[in-house]
Parts: sequence; structure tokens; C-alpha cells
Amino acid sequence: MLNKLAFRNMKRSARDYLIYLLTMTLVTALMYAFNSLLFQNELKQYWDGEGMLEMMVSLTTILIVFITAWLISYMMRFMLEKRSDEFGIYLLLGMKKSALSKLYLRENMLFGGISLLLGAVFGILLQQILMVILFSMLGMDYRLHFVLHPGTVLMTVLCFGMCFVLSLFRCKQKLKKMSIRSLMDVKRRNQETKENLETVKQAFFPASILFLFLLWIFFGTLSDTANVALFLAALIVTIYLFYIGLSAFIICYIRKGGRKIYKAQNLFLLRQFASKIRTMQFTMGSLTVLFTLALMGASFALMFSTWQNELMNQKFPFDILLYSPDPSDTFEEEIQFVESRVTPLEIHSYRIYTDGNDQVNAWMLTHLTCWGTMYQNPDGTPDWNAIKQKLENENTYCTYDTYMGLSDYNRLRRMLGYEKISLGNTEYAVQIKPRLKKEVQTIDEDLILGDTSVLTFGGIYTDPFSQDGHNGGDYLIIVPDAVLADMYPYYAELAVKIDGSVSPHLREELDAFRNDNLHFPSNADSPIKGNRCYGSDIIFVFNTINEVRDNLIPSLAYMLCTIMIPLFYIGLVFLCVAVTVLSVQQLSDTAAYKFRYDILSKLGLKESEIHSLILKQLMAYYLCPALFAILISGKMVLFAGKRFVMATGVSVSSGSFFLKSIALFFGIYLIYFAATYIIFCRNVRK
Amino acid sequence: MNSYIKICDIEKYYGSGSHVTKAIDRLSFTIDKGEFLGIMGASGSGKTTLLNLLATIDKVTSGHIYYENTDITELSEDALSEFRKHNLGFVFQEYNLLDTLTIEENIVLVLTFQVNNKKSICETTNRLLKLLGIEDIRGKFPYQVSGGQKQRCACARALANSPKLLLADEPTGALDSFSSQTLLETFTKLNRTLCSTILMVTHDAFSASYCSRILFLRDGKIFHELLRGEKPRRLFLQEILDVLSSTGGDFHVK
Repeated sequence: MLNKLAFRNMKRSARDYLIYLLTMTLVTALMYAFNSLLFQNELKQYWDGEGMLEMMVSLTTILIVFITAWLISYMMRFMLEKRSDEFGIYLLLGMKKSALSKLYLRENMLFGGISLLLGAVFGILLQQILMVILFSMLGMDYRLHFVLHPGTVLMTVLCFGMCFVLSLFRCKQKLKKMSIRSLMDVKRRNQETKENLETVKQAFFPASILFLFLLWIFFGTLSDTANVALFLAALIVTIYLFYIGLSAFIICYIRKGGRKIYKAQNLFLLRQFASKIRTMQFTMGSLTVLFTLALMGASFALMFSTWQNELMNQKFPFDILLYSPDPSDTFEEEIQFVESRVTPLEIHSYRIYTDGNDQVNAWMLTHLTCWGTMYQNPDGTPDWNAIKQKLENENTYCTYDTYMGLSDYNRLRRMLGYEKISLGNTEYAVQIKPRLKKEVQTIDEDLILGDTSVLTFGGIYTDPFSQDGHNGGDYLIIVPDAVLADMYPYYAELAVKIDGSVSPHLREELDAFRNDNLHFPSNADSPIKGNRCYGSDIIFVFNTINEVRDNLIPSLAYMLCTIMIPLFYIGLVFLCVAVTVLSVQQLSDTAAYKFRYDILSKLGLKESEIHSLILKQLMAYYLCPALFAILISGKMVLFAGKRFVMATGVSVSSGSFFLKSIALFFGIYLIYFAATYIIFCRNVRK
Repeated sequence: MNSYIKICDIEKYYGSGSHVTKAIDRLSFTIDKGEFLGIMGASGSGKTTLLNLLATIDKVTSGHIYYENTDITELSEDALSEFRKHNLGFVFQEYNLLDTLTIEENIVLVLTFQVNNKKSICETTNRLLKLLGIEDIRGKFPYQVSGGQKQRCACARALANSPKLLLADEPTGALDSFSSQTLLETFTKLNRTLCSTILMVTHDAFSASYCSRILFLRDGKIFHELLRGEKPRRLFLQEILDVLSSTGGDFHVK
């Protein structure tokens, strides 16, 4: 009998909480799809040693399990409240508390079982979509094949089970404490509109707006970790206080008889809104936090994705590029090794020179935005002490300026398919990373070499040129070959253009081959000190002495996937969980809303007016946490986006990541909103 | 007196095919301006259906209902809403107050449907609160006040649009006898001082005794009519009870 009752109740819950069922199905499907990444073998053959993706997915899964457990637990408590009358009657009829608890848990297990099954079926499809996306991100082909991997299934069932166990435990505690009286009383208590200390509470509203204002003004200036932590803690408190304040503010406005309440149905709308916000102010706060995290997750993932699409291929323009700290190195062994592995079309070994000065390094440190005024005296002149210290102790730039002869430069340009350049006998050119182009427009100062010779500016070139330590750090000064006579070789490079593709492990083989012969900068016996640098990139720093493009680009893409996929995963699940709570909150109250709208209809409101009222009510309710989350995450994403654009040189504006993630966010939001609106109208009309 | 509301040969059927129930059977009568009309009848006699038809909440199967010169059976849904907004007031057994609004706001809301002028809304609200004697509880929510107070608020709300007809469906059904009496006295006062036309559906003979005329329904038809005239209320109550005892229905006296 209990089973039959549980089944019947579950069927009713599935109908009443369709959106919850759909979200649980979607979350399970996402869990299945992402868990499958832990068990796939196709990628392991390329990146078996790294295990980064697996680790990131596992960490994300833990987070997702907790948030899903929160959703289930929230929904179970919510349904318990809605059905408190019914449970009270069961107890009144003599059902034991343990039996009631069993009944409710059984219902929820059945509910969970259905979403698990549906989710697994949908998950198999989603997994294939995910694999296609992942492989295309890695620049590989993927052939669709639907396989039910036992590991993935087990892992999904375990995750899902864990979500349920966590929430069932909490719910069982609550059931244990409930008495007939308290169960029967829940509804009455819910109907009561308690308005205490609203005049005091309304102060939270302007206070939280003020805090948001401060967030926008000062967030960028926070540098100390303790300050940031303090600020974030205050932000979370503000999010929760905002809703207490907002509801109190509206109530006080109504009580005061503000002019707006006498317009059309504003009074009804404002009261509905204030009362809903007040009853679920804590939940609204939590939803705002989830929305904020979802928006930030999606924005950050989009940043990486933009970089990947736009600039990743520029990171390694040469097929193979080898560095040697020994300027006299002729790379004979390496050339033999490379020739044994690939078919070279062109091989060129060359040297980077230096004049032993650091006027260009100093210019970079005092003019690039990323350094701010760190290397300037208060009057704007270079702070030579700080500059020397940096150049000698850190590897951003080589200790001395880096130069290249025009003939070497033009040969490398030809290798890369760029046009040849020409320089006068006393001219120099600047080869710099594309992202720094805008910042070095004023570099046309004369270069003084030695005591007498002066070189004049002959142009800037920003074609990708592998400037993370190979062809200089950030920059190279190109000079006529004759000028090099007054300089000395700084380090050596070997560039190879190949025909066809390389083995996926060529770089590792090269590393192993050269490991015994190389002198690293940290070694005391390096031929020249300070001739190794990485440039000023801060996000995508790929420091390697042996660059093999066809090995590095997929590796980098793989690394990016390990960041982007969990961020999208988190964003998507958080968003769905939050928006489900919003929808369920509205839909479960349709009986009360139906009553209210029936009265309004009797009082003479047309059906179209009632529909517009419902739309306004739902919109206010849906937009409030979303807009608040946009305001909060906006500052952080714009701040991070600005830094990201500056650091990477992607051509889009920092706001575009945010706008795109908002569009993505509202796409999903709109689906839930439309579904809720349709069901809501149907329920109210019934 | 002139016929203010004319009900002409109306019928109302529910269901379809072989399961048709006739709730109102070719009913005709008139309501005069300023009249306090009672409708009595046993459960299933069609009195609530009749009220719903007059209230434009339900549509007649055939026949016509005229409010002065307007035939409401010919109006569209939207026109009916407009009609309700400007011409009818409702008082229900279950009060039907909006639980999220205070007593005062329940009245203000209806007024905002008609006008957007804050001053006139406030004035009317204050006048109604005073008229119904609920000024002291204006800031309270429905759950915080007694049934009688709720019903008086419902009355005030119903009067907010100066309706042509005030429809009351078992207004004392959920009230204790003292509250019932207060409410009925309020109805009488409204009827006499404001000349409000009231149609009240009730089970309760005591409540009905406050009316100026009573129609008794059975199986969707009028089977008896009582006029109070100048009779004292006690005598009228006795007459009502006599009619009821002859029908043997499920009526009661509070």
C-alpha cells in the first residue's frame, strides 16, 4: 500500500514540479556527459601523463554534487511544506512517523530514479555533443559512437546517489522534528504577513546600493589579499541584506502612500513582489550568488575561448624553434636529429645579439601599461635601480637588450611567409608582439649604440614572431647586419620549416635528446648570464626551449579545455539550479495566485490585463536576482576582462565577454521563463 | 419604482450530451433601484448560479439580463470586465480579500482600477473606511482581523466603485451572530442612506429578514415571493420561516 501511495504521490509531484524534474534530468545528463571525460580513452593517448582535465572535472563534479544536493534538499523541504496538511493527516490517521518518513523518502527516490534514467539517456546524447565540441577545440576529428561506459554510469549513479543521500539526511532530520500540529500549522504560518521593523530594515536597501557603487569604484584598486577577502565577505552579506532591504523599502513606500501605487495595478504588483521577496529573501540571496558565479564562469570561459580562437595559432608561428643559451651553438646534433624525424623544407640557425645596454628594456618597463609606474621615479624618469634589479633577478626580459640582424630577420620572415623589410644603414626596426602594437607607437626614439653611433627609427613590425624568449622577450630590435659588428652574440636559435606533420611526441623526444647538452639559465656555467627570458605575458605563458608547433598547440588547447569546460559546466548547472528554484517557487503558489487573480477578474480586470499583470509579476521576480547578479559580476568580469585583453591582446573589448555571457545566460533564462509563464497562465486560468 | 435590472426568461444549462443539468429554468423578474432583494433556496436550487449570471461571471444559455438599457448577455468578455469594474460590487462568504494587501489597500486597489488620482482615491478610501467602521484596522492584514471586520472590508471594497448593484453571496455564512447582525445592519444602512441596490443570496432566514423582498427558488424557478412592506422585521422573519417550513428545505436561522 505504501508503495502504491508513494508511486501515486510521486506521479503527482512529477506533474506539479515538472520544471524541477526537467532540471534534475538535465543536471544528470550533464553529470553523465562530463563524467565520461574521466573515462574516455581517445584523448588519453595524446595527453595521458597530464591528467589535468580529469582532475579539473573531478573537482568541478564535487562542487556540482554539493549544489545539486542543495537543490534536492531545498526542493524536498519545499514540497514537504507544501504538502504539510497531507502529512499531518497521515499522522492523524495513525501512520507512524517512521512510516511517513519512509513514504516521503521513497517518493523522492522514485522521483530521483526517473530523472536519473531520463538523464542517462539524454546524457549519452549530450556526451557525444560534448566530445565533438572538445575534439574540435583540440583541432581533432571525432567520430560519433554511442557507448555506455560502465565507469561513467557508475560514477554518475554515485554522484547522483551522493546528492540524494546528502539531502535525504537533512530532510529526515526535519521530518523527525515535525509534529501533527506543526505540520498542520505550516500553511497558516506561511500565509501570515509579518511586517516587523520595516522602517529600520529599509535602510539596508540604500546601504546595499551604496556598497555596489563602492564595488564599482574601488574593486580595481584592491590589491591586498586580506582586503579582497574582506570585500568579498562584505559583498555576500550585502547580497543577502539587499533583499531584506528591498522588500522593506517597497513596503514602506506603500505604507507612505507613494504616488506610484495609485497607478493602475501597481499596488497589487508591488505588494505581491514585496511579499514574495520577503518570504524567500535568503533563497533570493543564494540565487543571486549562484547567478553571479554562473555569469562569471561563463565570462571567464568565453575569455579563454576567444583567445583560443583568435590568438592561439599565433603563439607558435615556427614549425620548430630551438633555443640554446650558448651563442656559439651551431645545432649540428639537433639538425641531424630533426632530419631523422621530419622532412625539413628550410633550416636556419641564427644568433640574437646584444650591445650590453638596457635602454630598450628600460623603455619597455617604463612605457608598457602592464608595468604602470613600478619602474618610474615620481617625475616619470626611469627608476634605474628598480630596472636593474628586475633585469638581473627576473626573467621577463633578458638582462640586456636583444637585437637581430636584418638578413636573419628577413630570412625568418620569408620562412613564415611574411614580406621582406628593408632598412637604411643607420636605421633600426622594432619587431614586437601584436598585442603591444598600440603601446609602442612612441618608441621611435633614437637608439644610441656604444659611444657615437646613433640609429634612427625605421618602423614597427607586429607579425607573430615567437617572442616568449626565443626571438626576444616581447621585442627585438632589428638592425642592419653591419651594426652587429659592434655587438656580441647573446644566444642562439634554430628555426625549421617542415613539410607535412610531426609525430605527437616530437617535442618530448627533443627535450630528452637535448637534456644532457643544454645549459639552463639557472646553471652557473651558462655561457652568458641573463640571456633567457619569457616576455611580459601573464596568462598564457608557455616557456619552452624546444618549440614544436604541432605538439604545443594541441597541448595548449587541451590546457584551455581543462579550464573552459569546468567553467561552462559550473555556469550551466548553477544557472539551471537557480532558475529552477525561481520557477518552482512561482508555480507551486499558483493556487494562491489563482485565487488572487480570480478576485481581480471579479473586480473587473480583463483577461488581457491579468495576463499582462502575470507577465509583469514574473518578470520582476525573474529579473531582480538576474539584474543584481549582473551588477555584481559585471564589475568583476569587466575588471578581469580588461586585464585579460591587456595581457593577451585579443582584439575584442572587455565588455564583449560579459555581453556574450549575458546573452547565453538570458537564452537559458528565457526558456525557463517562457515555460514558467505558460504553465503559470494555464494554472491560473484552470 | 422603475425596473432597474430586468431578468428576462433566462435559462442556464450545465454539462453536455446526456448529462445536462438545468440550473435556471426560464426565470424572469425585475429589481428596482434601491431595492434590497433576497434570494433564498435549498442547496442546488440555482441561487448561486443566478447570482453568477447577474454578476457576469457566468453566461446564460438563453434569455436576457438588462442593466437599465444594457443587455449584458450580448457583451464580449472584455466589455463584461469593464461592466463589472464600473457597475458591480461583490461580497462573498469567504470575503475574497487579497491576503497580500492590508484592509485599506484592498479598497485602494479597486479604486486604482477606476481613477489614478491619489487625492480622490485617498478621500474615497477614508470615507468608506469610516462608513463601514473599520478605520482602526486599516493597516492590518486580513489574517489579523476578525471575520466580521473582513466582511465589512469586503463591503467597503464592493462599494468603492459606487456600483449599480451590490451582489452578496452568503455574506454572513462564515460569521458569528453578532458579526452577522452588524453586517446586515450595515447593508440596511447602505440601502437606505446611499440608496444602494443590493441582491443577497442566503440560506439564513435571519439574514433574509433584513431584505425588502425575497424570491424563493426551487429547481431553478421562483416558487414564492415575499414582500416586507412596512412590516416589522420580526414578523417578516416569521413569514419567511413559514415559507421555509412548508418547503422542508435545509434552511436555518442563526
